[in-house]
Amino acid sequence: MALNFIRKFVLSSFLFATAAASAETFVFTAIPDEDETKLVERFRGVADYLSEQLDVDVRYIPVKSYAAAVSAFRNNQVQLAWFGGLSGVQARRLVSGSEAIAQGVEDEAFETYFIANTNTGIKPADKLTELESQLKGKTFTFGSKGSTSGRLMPEFYVRDTFDSKPEDFFSRVGFSGNHTRTLRLVEAGTYDIGALNFQVWEKELGDGNIDTDAVQVIWKTPAYPDYQWTIRGDVNDRFGDGFKQRVTEALLNLDNPELLESFPRSGFIPASNDDYEPIRKTAEEIGILD
Amino acid sequence: MFSSPTVRTSFIFLAIALVGLLFADIAITASNPWRDLGNFFLGIVTPNFFSSEGLMTALLRTVAFAFVGVALGGVVGFLLALIYRSLPVRMFCAFVRAIHELFWALIFLQFFGFHPLTGVLAIAIPYAGIFAKVYSEILEEADPEPGRVLPPGTGNITAFLYTRIPDCWVKMRTYTAYRLECGLRSSAILGFVGLPTLGFYLEASFSQGLYSDAGAMLILFYVLIATMPLWVRPKLLPVYILGAPFFLGEGLPIVWGNVQRFFTEDIVPAPLRNGEGLAGVTPWLSDLMVNEAMPGIWNTIVLTQIALVATGILSLLAFPLISNHFGGPIRRNAGHVALVIARSTPEYILAYILLQLWGPSMLPAVVALALHNGGIIGHLIGRQTNSIKLRADAITGFNRYSWELVPRVYRAFLAFLFYRWEIIMRETAILGILGIYTLGFYVDSAIQNIRFDRAMVLILVTALLNIGVDALGRYIRRKLALQTMPTC
Amino acid sequence: MSGFDLSGLTASFSGKRVIGPLSLQVNPGDKIALVGKSGAGKSTLIRLIHERVNRDSSLVPQDLGLVNALSVFHNVFMGQLDKHATWYNTVTLARPFAKDRAEVTALLQSLEMNEKLWTPTASLSGGQRQRVAIARALYRNAAVLLADEPVSALDGPMANSVMALLRDRFSTSIIALHDVDLALNYCTRIVGIQDGQVALDQPSEDLTSSDIMSLY
Repeated sequence: MALNFIRKFVLSSFLFATAAASAETFVFTAIPDEDETKLVERFRGVADYLSEQLDVDVRYIPVKSYAAAVSAFRNNQVQLAWFGGLSGVQARRLVSGSEAIAQGVEDEAFETYFIANTNTGIKPADKLTELESQLKGKTFTFGSKGSTSGRLMPEFYVRDTFDSKPEDFFSRVGFSGNHTRTLRLVEAGTYDIGALNFQVWEKELGDGNIDTDAVQVIWKTPAYPDYQWTIRGDVNDRFGDGFKQRVTEALLNLDNPELLESFPRSGFIPASNDDYEPIRKTAEEIGILD
Repeated sequence: MFSSPTVRTSFIFLAIALVGLLFADIAITASNPWRDLGNFFLGIVTPNFFSSEGLMTALLRTVAFAFVGVALGGVVGFLLALIYRSLPVRMFCAFVRAIHELFWALIFLQFFGFHPLTGVLAIAIPYAGIFAKVYSEILEEADPEPGRVLPPGTGNITAFLYTRIPDCWVKMRTYTAYRLECGLRSSAILGFVGLPTLGFYLEASFSQGLYSDAGAMLILFYVLIATMPLWVRPKLLPVYILGAPFFLGEGLPIVWGNVQRFFTEDIVPAPLRNGEGLAGVTPWLSDLMVNEAMPGIWNTIVLTQIALVATGILSLLAFPLISNHFGGPIRRNAGHVALVIARSTPEYILAYILLQLWGPSMLPAVVALALHNGGIIGHLIGRQTNSIKLRADAITGFNRYSWELVPRVYRAFLAFLFYRWEIIMRETAILGILGIYTLGFYVDSAIQNIRFDRAMVLILVTALLNIGVDALGRYIRRKLALQTMPTC
Repeated sequence: MSGFDLSGLTASFSGKRVIGPLSLQVNPGDKIALVGKSGAGKSTLIRLIHERVNRDSSLVPQDLGLVNALSVFHNVFMGQLDKHATWYNTVTLARPFAKDRAEVTALLQSLEMNEKLWTPTASLSGGQRQRVAIARALYRNAAVLLADEPVSALDGPMANSVMALLRDRFSTSIIALHDVDLALNYCTRIVGIQDGQVALDQPSEDLTSSDIMSLY
């Protein structure tokens, strides 16, 4: 019996070994800004699409943090990534020659929504200053530490408007991890207030996943540039001349409505590194970038 | 009563913890924590074992990482134990074991990325340091007499194999088996930073409120640990150890240039990297110390002290659960199950669950640390009381507890507690990754901001703090003349 | 070389001298019994002598020096670890060679212990453990035997047969004994120790048990 067991064991280990030994695979990742099952579903679709368009094996790997996405890109373990504004700036600073090649139509003018649990009694306002007395001393959650819409921009506006650090202005400041969780935590009342990616809010609202009696939007930030596809500069050496161009075109031509809906974006448009200068300046201003 | 040094020490620590409570951030911030807790338990009793295709693979990976990591750590630790007398070796071991597995994983992730080596080394390195210490203690306790009667001219290796190893074998085996169990826990939580083990899926299902999926994973994990005596057989060990490397998953290839870059650029303090020279390092370092290290150290110490006392109280309350001086076999078996669950659940996972349910504060961390460590110590003490023979007419009930048993086990209890002091602190630091403002929070923030120079300084600070507490714990144990077994 | 001259033997315990200075001439063929009250320094003397003549002696210390976790075979085999290469000893630990197995079995047969060959010594009785230590000394096969109360846990007939075996197998021996009759019957020379000094040194044929009792 033991022998039989060993035989099975060895056999299955070979299966694993062969799976590992695949040729040049084009690997990409994405910042984990939403629930994992959603991400895996969305990006497996993208992997299939790209694989078809590019004639190479394409693989998506999920990561647990924004920094892990940046590190994987920097370490050349992935060659393409769907970054947020800030993570993209960080990544491109670290990998010379890397380029923002495409962004969502909505990403040119992205917004952060401040949301509040209705039990707090906070009423929506057009200007953040109007909310000062209502927000002060409440509990507040960002999304991920490395998020643009969930951390960088809301922190910037809190500092800019109230002239104090978030941890001084609010009684308690947390980092939920991602936008979906920010939504759930504020909805449940774990935090009074939260800041999240407006696209996540709109999509969850459209899908009927938000209890609007428990949580509402209280303020919207001005627009800023956000998500983009960033590719390493050395992909042509590895995957052949013109590869970068082909990836860019494949992304810009992506018109599968289901796939676009899962982002959710209405389509992808060209982007450049310079589009994200405002993000870099903001990050330096609040001390997240050296 | 207060003239006894053990009692006095206990009350001093109790007082420190009470003062700590004044400064600690203890609160339930969720508006409806009990409903969520209820949902969670509902999930546990309605486990969904077929949710994720990856679940079985994740379990397999968890076991594989544990085996490879612990085996590698064991071999290296054993070799280090042989030269443990040397001061540099002792310092090296103290240093590597003062850094938590998750921190090691976060470091290796930066240059090995998602390669299996990251997970293997994250377990093997700190475990080697721990193995070296414990193995050397065990070897030191070996009976020296057989060595004296050996024929002169017997080779060193032969003498070692015949007189030391057989005498220490059982203890070393017991300890290694215990470490393997720890290794399974470590391996599971590595998933929280992205390695393909159980924690990866647990975090995913938990954060989405899929409690039935999470419940299934936890149950499978308990079964895995509880059935260890059945499947970890000496004869099968070579099969496991040789086979495990094939089950670590493919990961992504290592790019060696990243390793060099990490050591020659990433961890060089920013002012030096930017050519500001040594003059720039002082403000950089003082900024880091004042704004991150100091608050981190303060919170880590406060939380550690509270958790230590909570652990102590819980252990004293828990040990009667499995003591055969109270109750019948049914209640005792239930007690065993409760303590096995408490100590099999990694603190990190417990803290993560409670944080999700109760909202962020130090409270979930204290409860998690106390449950896990109290479960371990309660189990050890309870087992110890079972070897105590009471006189036939001994009092019963609470008086038996307070007059006959507690006084007899109190010294052993304190020994275990001070032994775990350093372990509790190491965990406290790491819980910062979950959003409690201990040192781990600042380490994680530095890594999230891709500032590895800062992260390394903070990890170094954490390690030194642990070494300090370890030394203090040993000093107190020696002062009070408390004996400890290493298998704790 | 099996005779030797021991002089200037001393031992102190926490500042207090317990042995010597003491001299003892041991001639080839001497079978010496060390007798005296417990605490007179017999064990210490055996240890001192062992330190002096280490290379050529078979030792049976009072606490036996067995490795409890190892089997009877391995404990006996330890008497000849110096005769083999490291690899040979290591292999033996896992799987003994037939030749050694036969030798050790034969030896144990003479001590009526052969059926316990693979039992770990931890699970043996006191008398059995003592015989394992004796078997180890026999297997070591040195010119001189140094033994400290080697038969204290054996019953009468067994004690006698073991003493006879030791007498026949070692040309020279020094054995600490509290049993005066055994000393007179199996040794050629009686050395009495009192307060760390030699108080008596006579051929055993010149002595009766009552002569020795004066030491107690």
